[in-house]
Amino acid sequence: MTLTTRKAALGGLTALAVSALTLVGCSAAPTGNGGSTDAKSSFLPCMVSDDGGFDDHSFNQLGLQGLESSAKSLGIKEKHVQSNSADDYTPNINSLLSANCNLIVTVGFNLSQATDAAAKANPDVKFAIVDDGLDNEGAKDKDGKPTGDGKVDVDNGKPILFDTVQAAFLGGYAAASYSKTGVVGTFGGLQIPPVTIFMDGFAEGVKYFNQQKGKDVKVVGWNVDTQTGVFTGGFAAGVEAKTAAQGLLDQNADVLMPVGGPIYQSAAEAIKDQNKGSVLIGVDADVFNTDKTVDDIILTSVQKGVDAGVEAVVKAAKNGDFDNTPYVGTLKNGGVKLAPFHNFESKVDPGLAGELKKIEAGIEDGSIKATSKSSPQQ
Amino acid sequence: MTTATLTPSAAPIVHEKVIVRSLKVPIILDVFAIAALVFAFGIPRRGQSSFRLSTSTDFFQIPTVVLPTVATVVTVAILLVVVAILTHLLVAFSSRGRSPLWLSAVFTVLFLFLFLTWAGADLRGIPIPGLLVGGLALATPLVFGSLGGVLGERAGVVNVAIDGQLLFGAFSAALVGSATHSPWAGLVAAIVAGVLVSWVLAVFALRYWVDQVIVGVVLNVLVGGLTNFFYTKVFAQVPSLNHTTKFDTIDIPGLSQIPIIGPVFFQHTIIIYIMYIAVFVVWYALFKTRWGLRVRSVGEHPQAADTVGINVNRTRFWTVTVAGAVAGIGGAFYTLDSVSKFDKDITQGAGFIALAAVIFGQWHPIKAALAGLLFGFAENLQSTLGIIGSPVPSEFLLMLPYVVTIVAVAGLVGQSRAPAADGTPYIKS
Repeated sequence: MTLTTRKAALGGLTALAVSALTLVGCSAAPTGNGGSTDAKSSFLPCMVSDDGGFDDHSFNQLGLQGLESSAKSLGIKEKHVQSNSADDYTPNINSLLSANCNLIVTVGFNLSQATDAAAKANPDVKFAIVDDGLDNEGAKDKDGKPTGDGKVDVDNGKPILFDTVQAAFLGGYAAASYSKTGVVGTFGGLQIPPVTIFMDGFAEGVKYFNQQKGKDVKVVGWNVDTQTGVFTGGFAAGVEAKTAAQGLLDQNADVLMPVGGPIYQSAAEAIKDQNKGSVLIGVDADVFNTDKTVDDIILTSVQKGVDAGVEAVVKAAKNGDFDNTPYVGTLKNGGVKLAPFHNFESKVDPGLAGELKKIEAGIEDGSIKATSKSSPQQ
Repeated sequence: MTTATLTPSAAPIVHEKVIVRSLKVPIILDVFAIAALVFAFGIPRRGQSSFRLSTSTDFFQIPTVVLPTVATVVTVAILLVVVAILTHLLVAFSSRGRSPLWLSAVFTVLFLFLFLTWAGADLRGIPIPGLLVGGLALATPLVFGSLGGVLGERAGVVNVAIDGQLLFGAFSAALVGSATHSPWAGLVAAIVAGVLVSWVLAVFALRYWVDQVIVGVVLNVLVGGLTNFFYTKVFAQVPSLNHTTKFDTIDIPGLSQIPIIGPVFFQHTIIIYIMYIAVFVVWYALFKTRWGLRVRSVGEHPQAADTVGINVNRTRFWTVTVAGAVAGIGGAFYTLDSVSKFDKDITQGAGFIALAAVIFGQWHPIKAALAGLLFGFAENLQSTLGIIGSPVPSEFLLMLPYVVTIVAVAGLVGQSRAPAADGTPYIKS
């Protein structure tokens, strides 16, 4: 046996592995939906996911929904391409550029640098990015936190941001009101601003409930003041997320809000194993609708309308109304909201809906303060 | 047929008694003893620390232990200093020239106790059963993975693809378990999946003499890509194919109601009980049977084994097959015991930690299993501390398992020696 054979064998195996990776790529190769094929007035909106992929039951999926529904209602085509790792971001953006996209929406603050660079190099193409201020000119800390000044670096890049703390505040209030044990819990995937903003709002909402009702409902898993809490170190619904949820249940928490893509599935397992009637609060999407396997324990969801934000930006860009001022989703413009209670409608306090409405109005007019260190700068 | 460089040359084995007085262990203990003193006097936390020992299903309830934080921390810190000095004395004067491993273990437990007492001051009680049970859950895939690793490496095949085996096992268990509604079918599928990955490794490592580490890395990429692809194409489209019936918990009568011991050891699914048995079976098979002797001989000195009539590559092939089956069961834990769904990259790199456990465990099944348990415990410690609201930043806590790994591998274990022919293909001349 010669070394050539060994190399050939290894080469074969490597080719197999690479083709497996490519398969995943293929599945996401730029694909478009139908719509009318009017080649002349062709405005082509496009999208790149982050490495979570478009089937993450979370913001990538919502972003794609927004793109697809806006394309449908405008009667135009769209293109989207999935990133399987951080190495794909720039190549994916480039492939969309060569496909003559007019607007490229990138999903997730991980694509910040790639988007920034592409926008600078292609001033004729419009860019939009979900969950990032696009203000990272100059220094940035190693966590990728925008240490920028809140000023958008480029004229052709529009940040799509969400002041999720407002909706999470309502979620925290609802959780405190529903809790029978007087303990509610939250935990996150990674300690990054788009995650902690939920946890901040949740804790603030509980605090507000305590002030209003003179109660003492405790929050476990997150401390707003010290910004420390429980994180699973990733966004996979594995054993880490389940033990974290079990730990919170061990502390008597009966309402859990796991923040970070699919990790709620692990929390649902922990709740079902415990079988004491604890409930979940979903995030990003209305999880009651998106995941029927857990709908019996979803109290409500803190919705972050990535779809609404993307749709608004795509439509505006199509109509020639595009600038670099950030779109900020709030309770007021419907960019963030608290989902209905669905199955729990009859089990929550009858006065709760009214109270939530009042708080919502209060947050909108500024009389109730729902802010977070991670809120988008405006 | 062969090139000279590929022939493994047997190093001469020389036996001589040399007392090596290494200061490595005492110095590491010194560092931790100083850290303990800093906790006790530098940044003291006042109040009381409580430890909850019982769960509601216990036979009888042990009341929550409440300790005065400052006094406890100071006492334990002084004890730690004493132990550290003792190891110095043992290294300098004892006839063996080193301190026993159990002393390091006692030191570690004391240090952990001090840290928990310090971190838990004036907060909600630390639930000791929850801490241990969660740690065991996190450790289970690590233990199975490290057992697979030990088997392979003892036979001379380095298996870097443990993560791939866990991932493919979890995936197959989810697919088959959901399709058949039988966790047992899922478990069998996971075993088959682990074996399949092993066979690819075996073919390239034993037949084509490809560098085993490279094959392992490539296999991890291959399995990661395949499972992601099928997740997107199958599971995301047909969710019913990704919803398993999990194994039921089996409470061992009587034993399961003993406080602490019961919930930690005797309230689990069949997979955890298989793990207990597997650790001892692997140990017994490797060290007490003729088969084990043969496996170890092809891993240490394949040429000698060949000379006495052992078919080296066949022995390696079947050992790697068994190793794959064991790692596959570890993968089944994810989707048949813990959560009932497969998720992309659900292992979160557990296979690589298992690989560290193999080395930390000195290629010994029982020690590797204990190493896996330690890593699992360290991982759960961080989430428990986060839950009780300790002031330690969560970024630091997420680092904890890796800090433990580095300190453990570099320091407390001392020298660990791999099987001599580990990773070298056997080429018959």
